[in-house]
Amino acid sequence: MIPIDNFLVLSAILFSLGMYGVLVRRNAVLILMSVELMLQAVAINFVAFAVYLNPETFTGLIFGIFVIVIAAAEVGLALAIILRLFRNRQISNVDEADLMKW
Amino acid sequence: MDQAWLIPAIPAAAFAILLIFGPYLPRKGDWLAIAAIGASFILVFPVLADLLDQADGTTYVAGEKAWEWISFDLAGVGEKFEIEIGFYVDPITIVMLAVVTLVALMVQVYSIAYMKGDSRYGWYFTVMSLFAASMLLLVLSNNLLLLYAGWEAVGFCSFLLIGFWWEKRSAAEAAKKAFITTRIGDVGLLIGIIMLWLEGPNTFNIQEIITFAEEGGYDNTYLTGAVLLMFMGALGKSGQFPLHVWLPDAMEGPTPVSALIHAATMVVAGVYLVARMLPLFEVADPIALDVVLVVGLTTVMISATMGLAATDIKRVIAYSTLNSLGLMFVALGSSAVAAAMLYLFVHGFFKALLFLGAGSVIHATKEQDMNRLGGLAAKMPITAAVFAIGTLAMIGIIPLSGFWAKDEVLVFAKEEQNIIVYLVLLSSLVITGLYMTRLFVRTFLFAPREQAAYDHAHEGGLLITVPLLILGLLATVGGFVVFDEVGEALGFPGGFAQFVFLNEAHEFEFHLDTAITSSVLAGGGAVAGWILWQNKAELAARIRDRFAPVSTLLSNRYYIDEIYQFVIDRIVLGLGSIIAWFDRVVVNDGGVDGSAKLGYFTGFEAKFLQTGRLPNYALAIVVGILVLSIAMLVTQV
Repeated sequence: MIPIDNFLVLSAILFSLGMYGVLVRRNAVLILMSVELMLQAVAINFVAFAVYLNPETFTGLIFGIFVIVIAAAEVGLALAIILRLFRNRQISNVDEADLMKW
Repeated sequence: MDQAWLIPAIPAAAFAILLIFGPYLPRKGDWLAIAAIGASFILVFPVLADLLDQADGTTYVAGEKAWEWISFDLAGVGEKFEIEIGFYVDPITIVMLAVVTLVALMVQVYSIAYMKGDSRYGWYFTVMSLFAASMLLLVLSNNLLLLYAGWEAVGFCSFLLIGFWWEKRSAAEAAKKAFITTRIGDVGLLIGIIMLWLEGPNTFNIQEIITFAEEGGYDNTYLTGAVLLMFMGALGKSGQFPLHVWLPDAMEGPTPVSALIHAATMVVAGVYLVARMLPLFEVADPIALDVVLVVGLTTVMISATMGLAATDIKRVIAYSTLNSLGLMFVALGSSAVAAAMLYLFVHGFFKALLFLGAGSVIHATKEQDMNRLGGLAAKMPITAAVFAIGTLAMIGIIPLSGFWAKDEVLVFAKEEQNIIVYLVLLSSLVITGLYMTRLFVRTFLFAPREQAAYDHAHEGGLLITVPLLILGLLATVGGFVVFDEVGEALGFPGGFAQFVFLNEAHEFEFHLDTAITSSVLAGGGAVAGWILWQNKAELAARIRDRFAPVSTLLSNRYYIDEIYQFVIDRIVLGLGSIIAWFDRVVVNDGGVDGSAKLGYFTGFEAKFLQTGRLPNYALAIVVGILVLSIAMLVTQV
């Protein structure tokens, strides 16, 4: 059996990549993709722990599915917002959309 | 006894009606006020009859009737906190009721003529009704809180009436002075009441507190402190030294008001309070009664001497009131309730008479400085005659009412107190004779000093003369109630002292030595006054010039007002300015404005953290998570 460490390291690398993407990218679509990456890193963690620690139940696995479903819904919503933003203001960079402030 | 509550309630109702509908009533409703106080006066008789019916020879079963006013459970103690609206009738109450209602009735009838044409005629009668109602409430109350309510209402009404002509600056100032000076005493009274309640039997009922104290329920020092604080209230209300300064100034009010304040409603409240609480004074340390005595004596002496120098006729009478009140306190200080109440009883009549007589003079001549009066007896014979009765009663000439009352006080002072007390009282009699004779001689006899005022003088109408004559009659015969025969003829068990007493009834005895001594001294004072101030008062002027410093001291009222002014200006206002600075700089600028400014500036600066840019927020979240993770790691190690 593959040791759990490998899964955790993979998950951590994915998460860090995602975080890096969120912090440095300006394009809204790319930030969204990075967020997806972070979510999937978490999902990998859930599944790995579920299999290794408590293989009898499906709790962790179901959580993984939940994360995927919610991520899909969230992406749908976010893409709609990005679309409206682009239609109205012809921008797709997040640092240009800064009206929600003082 | 069941009707007793109506006695204050009727004038109070009249006040309420006058306050709302007064301007629409015919004659502005003066008849309503008079009818109300008249009804109260008549109601005193059934209440008195009830009280006499229940007498069992030696003691009176005092009547009491009470309704619950406020009642709730005291948290944590498991006791109930109750305040009643209760009425208590005993002989002392009856004496007060009789004086208050009768004098108030006379004064109000007289006021119809005196206040005629005044722009606030209706308001005058409105406040007069409230004044009488408050005083009646005060004397009938069975508990200290209700008494205090009446006490404050009396003070408030006196403020309104002294400042009745508030367009005059001096009247407005006098009203403020009266209110503030008496308030200083009232604080003491309130603290005293609270002290009695705090350590007492969880009730404000006066009789229960007295019983509790007589059973030794209070610590002796504590009780002494409480009664002395209560005495402070009496000091302020009754204008005793050192809180007497408001009383002469209170002459700024309309003259009938002065009559009411001095004879019936305001100043005797202090005497009543001490008489009512006298059992507590007796239980407390003897020093409490000594304080009462010394204050009374001091007031007697300073007021009598100040009366010598005053030239305003109303002020002279005001000083004579202080003099009389001082005598009452001397009597109370000797535990002689009967003597004090007898003096209060007859004083009500002859003092009201003097004031209303003075009012008659002022009404006719528009002049109240006796240096500009004189010779009025020819033009105003009735006023002069009744004024003479009032003067002689005040001096204490046999057989007028003042003589008997004053004699009772003297007998007690002689028997119960140090010989010095007796001698001081005797010497005050001479001075009283002097200044009262001066007042009468300078106002009514010899050549008029100002022709205009003299020409203007005339006797007032029936509304003025009839109350004067009734009061004159009472001032003449009022003192005879000391005799057992008179008391029995009126349906009482005996003379005054067998009706009003503290522990046991007294037989009236005529002490020939005291009577002769006092008569000689008072009469001598009166004759000396006549000689000094006859014709153009040359002799008096010579003496005044000879003792110029004394006369200056007296006409400046011992500089007591100036000392108070200095204390207020320098010490009170100085302290006040420090507190004002603290309030302005620390509390206001630092605390109130400071916290508001803090909110404003933090909001103004911190809002720039909200950039609206997503990467900034994302970075903040990441940094936050990192910090929290590191903190968790550190704390778990």
